[in-house]
Amino acid sequence: MGARMMGVLSIRNVLRGVLTAGILALLPNVTLAQASDEENGEVIYAKRCLQCHGEDGDGLGPAAERLNPPPRDFTLGMFKFKTSAFDDDIANDADLIRMIRDGMPGTAMPGWSDMLSEQDILDVIAYIKIFADLGEEAELQLDYGTQVTSSPESIAAGKLLFEDGERCTECHGLEGKGNALKKLKDDNGDRTWPRNLTKPWTFRASNDPKDIFTRISVGIPTTQMPSFADPKSKKKLTIEERWNVANYVASLAKTEQVVHPDNFVVQASRVEGTLPVTPEDELWGTAPSSTFIMVPQIVGQDRFFTTANDTISARALYDDDKIAILLEWDDRTQSIPGDPKAISIADEEIFQDAVAVQFPQSMPKGMEKPYFLMGDAAKPVNLWRWSSGTTEDPETATIIDAIGINNQVTREGHAGLSASGSYKNGTWRVVMTRTLKTGSPENDLQFEEGRFVPISFFAWDGSNSEVGTAHAMTTWYWLQMTPRASSKPMVYAIGSGLLIFVILLWWGRGASSRRQKSA
Amino acid sequence: MRIPRLLQAILVLAGVYFGFIVVFDYILEAVIPRSLLTMYMFFVTAGVFMVFTYDEDQTRELVAPIKAMVENPQYRMIRNVVFTIIPLLVGFGVYTKMRPSFDAPIELRTIHPAPPSTAQIFGRRVNLLELQNPFRKFEKEDPEQFAELVAEGATVYIENCQYCHGDKLDGKGPYAEGLNPTPLNFQDIGTIAQLQESYLFWRITTGGPGLPSEAAPWISSMPVWQNFLEEDEIWKVILFLYDYTGHEPRSWGHE
Repeated sequence: MGARMMGVLSIRNVLRGVLTAGILALLPNVTLAQASDEENGEVIYAKRCLQCHGEDGDGLGPAAERLNPPPRDFTLGMFKFKTSAFDDDIANDADLIRMIRDGMPGTAMPGWSDMLSEQDILDVIAYIKIFADLGEEAELQLDYGTQVTSSPESIAAGKLLFEDGERCTECHGLEGKGNALKKLKDDNGDRTWPRNLTKPWTFRASNDPKDIFTRISVGIPTTQMPSFADPKSKKKLTIEERWNVANYVASLAKTEQVVHPDNFVVQASRVEGTLPVTPEDELWGTAPSSTFIMVPQIVGQDRFFTTANDTISARALYDDDKIAILLEWDDRTQSIPGDPKAISIADEEIFQDAVAVQFPQSMPKGMEKPYFLMGDAAKPVNLWRWSSGTTEDPETATIIDAIGINNQVTREGHAGLSASGSYKNGTWRVVMTRTLKTGSPENDLQFEEGRFVPISFFAWDGSNSEVGTAHAMTTWYWLQMTPRASSKPMVYAIGSGLLIFVILLWWGRGASSRRQKSA
Repeated sequence: MRIPRLLQAILVLAGVYFGFIVVFDYILEAVIPRSLLTMYMFFVTAGVFMVFTYDEDQTRELVAPIKAMVENPQYRMIRNVVFTIIPLLVGFGVYTKMRPSFDAPIELRTIHPAPPSTAQIFGRRVNLLELQNPFRKFEKEDPEQFAELVAEGATVYIENCQYCHGDKLDGKGPYAEGLNPTPLNFQDIGTIAQLQESYLFWRITTGGPGLPSEAAPWISSMPVWQNFLEEDEIWKVILFLYDYTGHEPRSWGHE
């Protein structure tokens, strides 16, 4: 009886399932998922989202001031990264699902796919829509046409369109580095910056040409990134043209200056002849470039959360007397105090741009390095610091002796340090040169071939209010002056091999002569 | 058939060597540093040698195949090959050892160093063995107030900690990749679930610079939070860490 009942029930369930699926399949735009549960969405929102996006969904959570970009304000009902057409303000659910599931690179928004199920995500979306009273679905969708696959021809065509009439270069700059030429704001009046297109890992919604095509076509709502599909735009582009621009933008990705997480070393190559003194010297091409992530200084007083520079690249060369280090980093602003144009682009008071390399004051014994934030009393550090100068004062190179972030002393002399920098299309390049040995070994690190020396980096963007303890920084990495090729290992290897061979031969002969004797 | 003693010794050594690699590198997924492996194998080899040369008969049996190879004209071919290979191996070993290294030095560090019994925190000497979270009792006594304290802890966390430890407490905050060592993942069963609240209090208040000398090289980027936060805020954020991850703090007492 029981078994029969079970059988009937399960058959009925199966039938019901098949019927439901069939009916749903006939209806357009309906997924098999259950209807969204706003109450479940509210519970999840309170636990996972509220701290940043705020109780009222206005993006004013407690950390809003310290986050760059700030959390999304859901009460606007507008979303930056959407695939509905430019003239439809409503984002597709698929866009919201993607942002929640995969997160947004370069922001504090993580991907939630490991913690929230697809249904949970739909429930949260149903809940956040309430903040803006969003009911209806987007009606107009973006037309992707036929994708133009990337090719040298398409990229070349895209480059022309990118530069034509300053279509894109007006904001993104000639090399696409987003170096500020204009002051941009979003609909909330918050300062925004054009994306540095050479750093695809900062793209919020990937640098796949299809995603770039979407941004070009739809624009980025609530910001000044316009739609280039809008027929009313003076700079409008056809579908094919937009694919070409997308392919060009995707091709801007830096291949040389990307962070390799397993690389902790700057290798200084040896130069026969003279060391380069300018950043433009072609000799730098012979030195490998190492790129490291910079983080805001949020460890020592006073903390600063919203630094502008996110990576720094270093190369190094040395000869018999000196070591030269080339530092390259993208800085969207050339900060020149006293210069009206630079002042107009800066957020608040403008300071000089600056960069510093940190070394321990003396070669560490064993593994113990000085405290990474400017050392401490037991282990002082040297900072080689370059400042970009003002309209009145030239650039400067100084040595700072530090035993902590609030305990820095700028030295009177140069101790053999010189530095010079140049700014072009959104990138600073600074060369620092110092003698390998100095007259005061008790105050300065003395370099030795082959030794691994701890090295770290600091950068200040003066147009972003970065001065003093407000700066970006790295943790410790290593600098090694690559030792010259030497025949010593080979000589020792052949010598020891021969020695062992002679001993074995002697043993073998002794053994066979003993055997002959006993025979 | 009995396995010759020499082969036995070689098999034992090979077994231990690959055993280490399999257990550490593959099962525990914590690659064993080669320098450590070399040290272990030195002791294992010494031990194996002592066991296999316990008395004279055993010693003789152990070296018999080697003696035979050198002395018996039947094995001349093998001998010649072995006598060529060994010097080549030695030469190669010396060469690799002396060749300059371009790899960054390896930094071993203790992840959870033993806490001191007392520490100087908020200007006073705190006994870490007796230290309790003053808010923990509300979990049972007053769940409503407890939930409020957890929410306050969440605010402290979002304002101060998520940049590195992440929104999801998984150690993957926006700046995590720039730090070495990387920030702790509190969701992981091997972190706060293994620790007492007083340990967390000690690590949070004194940060990287407060690590004891056995934790050298203390390269942790953890700030000294007693410089930035109130004592209450730290206890609240600890409540939040356990609440959000669903872990229970370890305690001395038996439940």
